[in-house]
Order: sequence, then structure tokens, then C-alpha cells
Amino acid sequence: MFGALDVSTSALVAQRTRMNAISANIAGQHALTDENGNYAPFKRRIAVFAQGDGRGGEGVHVREILQENAFKYRHDPGHRFADANGNVRVPDIDSTVEQINAMEASRAYEANITAAEATKLMMRNSLRLLA
Amino acid sequence: MIAGLFDSGAMPTLDRVVQFTEARHGRLTADIANLSTPYFKPSDLDVEAFQASLGDAIDRRRKQPNPTRGELQIRDTHDVAFHRHGLTVDAEASNDNILFHDRNNRDLERIMQRLAENTMTHNAAVDLLKNQFDMLKLAIRERL
Repeated sequence: MFGALDVSTSALVAQRTRMNAISANIAGQHALTDENGNYAPFKRRIAVFAQGDGRGGEGVHVREILQENAFKYRHDPGHRFADANGNVRVPDIDSTVEQINAMEASRAYEANITAAEATKLMMRNSLRLLA
Repeated sequence: MIAGLFDSGAMPTLDRVVQFTEARHGRLTADIANLSTPYFKPSDLDVEAFQASLGDAIDRRRKQPNPTRGELQIRDTHDVAFHRHGLTVDAEASNDNILFHDRNNRDLERIMQRLAENTMTHNAAVDLLKNQFDMLKLAIRERL
């Protein structure tokens, strides 16, 4: 029975990590430079899940955080990072898509909380047999 | 197991129900945990097959000379193998839903419904089992 709680916890951790990646995408959608001020448009992060808790048990874990190498171009000849054609390479992040992903992660987190609550209820009832 | 004390009446039946609901709960929590995992297909235990097997075992027990005592000889189903003090499961992934773009076959509403049903069944069985234990305790103490 405690294993079921471990499974739900692994999913909570994974969904939280996914939410971190989504938050980073929303926060960095207009970032054009790195922390040193060098031109490096923000790359969209994607949390990729895999089955199992990563240690041989049941559950889910984040296999990797992919960094997409996709950018879009905005025509802005006066921009200091504009190329010879007057285009500026900017992060290819759609805030609507990120919001939907955030909502999905949030709902999945809630579903796992419900599962963990059900596990706790079952454990409490089973332990009552001993009292 | 103390013969006649823990294998009489409904106890063996309730014992099996609790074991089954615990195993099923493990499967359902794994399904919920993998809601966003690419290529994951949820699996569940066959409740109807378990109920049929349990019903059959109860019928056979009733036909014995002492129908209210003795262990329940329950037969394995296609996804559950019963042992003397437990069970092992081998659930098949279901393919009865439309695949999402990430090749996951999730059906969250159905899984949550099954989780709620399973939790209620488990709690009901545990409550009944507790009643049986309380009666035993009462008999041992010889007072109300």
C-alpha cells in the first residue's frame, strides 16, 4: 500500500518539474540575451516523461528537459540584434500553448493528489484494524 | 492463521476483497501517475472476473460439510494469481480509448471513477472486517 503513495509522489515531483519548465518558457519568451548580455535567444524547454520512478520502481519520472532549437524571426531593422536583412531571431514561444500545458500539468497534479488522498484513506482504514 | 478463528464466516472473503482492492489501487495510482507519459497505456484489473471467481469459491465453500469454516479456495483469473497469503497481478494494458498525440491512451475521468469505486469497496470491506474483529474481541473479553 505504501508503494501506491510512492507512485503518486513520483508523479507529483514530475508534474512540478514540468510546471517549472513551463514557467521558465513563459518568463523567458521575450529574453534575447543570456545572463552575460550576449545575444542568445531563450530556448523553449520541454519536460519529457518516462515510465517508472527512475530507480526500478513503479511511477513516472522526468527523463530529460529538452531545449528546442526553434526560433522565429521578427522584422525590426532598427534593433541592435537585427541581422543583415533586418530580422531579429526571437524565442518561438506561444503563451497560449504554454498556458494550456500549465493547466494540464495542474490538473494532472490534482489527480495525483486525489490518488494520494485515497491511498491515505485506505491505509488509515486498514490500520484501524489493529487498533 | 488460527484455524476456526480467522477463517470462519465472511473473514476469508473480506480478506481476499481487501487484497484485491489494494492490488487494484496500485495499478490505478500508476495509471494516474503516467497521465502525461508518452506511449503509456493504462491498465486495470478485471473486477468482474475477480467477482466471478470469488462467487464461485464461496459457492464451493458452502457445499462443504462445514460451510462457514475453512479457507476459501479461490481460482486464479486471467490477470490475478492467488496465493495462500496474497496475490500477484499481471494486468494488461487497455486499448479501448482514442490515442492522444503523445501515443498515451489516458482516460482520466474513467480512471478517477475507478479509483473512487475501488476506495469505497476497500473501505467497506475493511469496515466489515473490523466488525468481525470487534465481535471476536467481545467474545474474548466476555463482556460488553
